[in-house]
Amino acid sequence: MSGVWIFAENREQSLELLNIGGELASQIGTKLVNIILGDNGQAQDYIDYGADEVWLLPALGPDQTLLAYAPVIADEAKQEDPDIFLVAGTLRGKELAAIIASSLDTGLASDCTFLKLGADNKLEMERLIFGGAGIQKVVCSTRPQMATIPARTFEPAEMKAGREGIKRELPTPPLSPLKLLARQNRVRESGDIREAQAVVAVGRGIEKKEDIDMIRELADILGGEIGCTRPITEEKHWLPEDLCIGISALEVKPQLYIGIGVSGQIQHVAGFRDARIVCAINKDENAPIFEASDYGIVGDLYEVIPRLLAELKKSGRAN
Amino acid sequence: MINIVSCFKWVIDEAYVRATSSGQIDLESVDYKISDYDRNAIEEAVIIKEKYGGDVTAVTVGSPEASKSIKNALSRGPDRAYFINDTSFADLEPSQTAAILADVIGAQIKYDLIICGEGSSDLYARQIGPRLAHKLGIPCICFVQKLEIKDNQIIAERRVEAGIEIITVPMPALVTVLSDINSPRVPGLKDTLAASKKPVVNIGKQDLSGNYDPKLETRETRAASLKRSCVKFGSEAQDVSGFVQALLKAGAIR
Ligand SMILES: Cc1cc2nc3c(=O)[nH]c(=O)nc-3n(C[C@H](O)[C@H](O)[C@H](O)COP(=O)(O)OP(=O)(O)OC[C@H]3O[C@@H](n4cnc5c(N)ncnc54)[C@H](O)[C@@H]3O)c2cc1C
Repeated sequence: MSGVWIFAENREQSLELLNIGGELASQIGTKLVNIILGDNGQAQDYIDYGADEVWLLPALGPDQTLLAYAPVIADEAKQEDPDIFLVAGTLRGKELAAIIASSLDTGLASDCTFLKLGADNKLEMERLIFGGAGIQKVVCSTRPQMATIPARTFEPAEMKAGREGIKRELPTPPLSPLKLLARQNRVRESGDIREAQAVVAVGRGIEKKEDIDMIRELADILGGEIGCTRPITEEKHWLPEDLCIGISALEVKPQLYIGIGVSGQIQHVAGFRDARIVCAINKDENAPIFEASDYGIVGDLYEVIPRLLAELKKSGRAN
Repeated sequence: MINIVSCFKWVIDEAYVRATSSGQIDLESVDYKISDYDRNAIEEAVIIKEKYGGDVTAVTVGSPEASKSIKNALSRGPDRAYFINDTSFADLEPSQTAAILADVIGAQIKYDLIICGEGSSDLYARQIGPRLAHKLGIPCICFVQKLEIKDNQIIAERRVEAGIEIITVPMPALVTVLSDINSPRVPGLKDTLAASKKPVVNIGKQDLSGNYDPKLETRETRAASLKRSCVKFGSEAQDVSGFVQALLKAGAIR
């Protein structure tokens, strides 16, 4: 048996994996299997987007976590022996993939940003190392070749009309000792910074929470969104997690990124590698952010921002 | 009395990683450190010991050079360290590290709670925690930002994209922690002196019987190049004006 398998917690990432998974499956000459959560009519949807087979995980009890599915998926893989298994790299997805890989005694490449079948038909997987300073290309010598894939790494698959496929229900998993007591969803306060054409990121150079207001004003004038570094969300709790940029957070690809009071540690810089123009405002002329910037201002942000706002307003850019 | 194990890794400090002119990774003048989030793992173990009573064992796998990390780790509060080392343990991939840790912890160390960092700052694969838990046959909760223990149960608040999940599980269990779970203490002179008196168990490859073949092979590494213009302006009004002009010219603002 063989096959390329994909699993994602959500539709957006399923479509991305259907695209790359479908490409790999046709190169190998095998089927594309999409493992999904429950079925409210999505099975046919995924078949339309390229799945040859859709395998449905049965609904879990309200106190069970996603990890409960690990033994069911691992058992299927032991029987079916897939060539490749791609898992969407959500936090829960990464945890699940690692447990499945351990159950199958196979290798797992985490957070892959590039996949390609090598000359020897092995899947070459590229990922960042050293916080984003380096790139590592690995192959997996055991089966299945497993990888987790961050959101938005690949384009979503396109719909193909008139496709037919097989639907199958997977067995109910055994009860996991992990009990979910509560799930608290954060209320989203802003737009998706991954969609913004300009991102103005604040770092620890900001002295207090209220000072973010003037940065927000700058972002508004530029028609963009505000973002931040990890200490701002995690240490200070001044901004929500979904505004954090970097290797352990979101990757943004705006036309313009401006880092303000951001030192430019590699883990943060890795989150805007593909921005078209990068700017920095920092009072330390040796801050690493300047090496990662096209245009930088060396100076105290509390002096520079008012001047910058005035300059932009002068040239008619303010509302 | 909770027996706590915290795992840590001695890594290259990525801030020193450079690119050579040919685009290779330059590790000529690097320094080493205990991986950032592993300091949170050690700190959390010590906090739990202080709060509920217990005992902390710090464990690392690495090359013999990683011996420098042992005193550093012990100065952060653990009672003893296990140093699993061999020259062939320098560049392990996650499945190998997890298998070695599982063999040693499973056979030699009493544990109720194992704490790992979310991921190491060099590879950041985020696999050791879940793989280790699976090998030991205990449940795991990853990405924990708040941890409590009540009646032999762990209550963990962990991060997911949409918010948080609060999960409970009886011990023994493993958690991986995020950096906002605590602020690691900075060891003082007294802690460093105390660290030299703490027991260290050395374990070599000859003491292990498992098969630790890699499952991932590295075919290539290269520096992630960042080509930017690196133009710098001053902070006076006319400099700021020049900065805005440059952005207009580059079409970055309209
Ligand atoms: C495994 C791992 C993953 C990580 N992932 C991420 C990630 O995804 N995203 C992320 O952001 N970080 C991440 N980090 C953390 C990262 O290494 C840095 O610690 C963090 O990005 C630094 O944030 P910062 O620039 O805001 O703070 P700092 O490094 O403290 O920099 C503050 C800067 O502000 C400047 N400054 C201070 N006052 C002023 C002023 N008045 N005017 C102008 N400039 C001023 C200073 O010169 C300094 O350069 C990660 C770390 C690890 C180990």
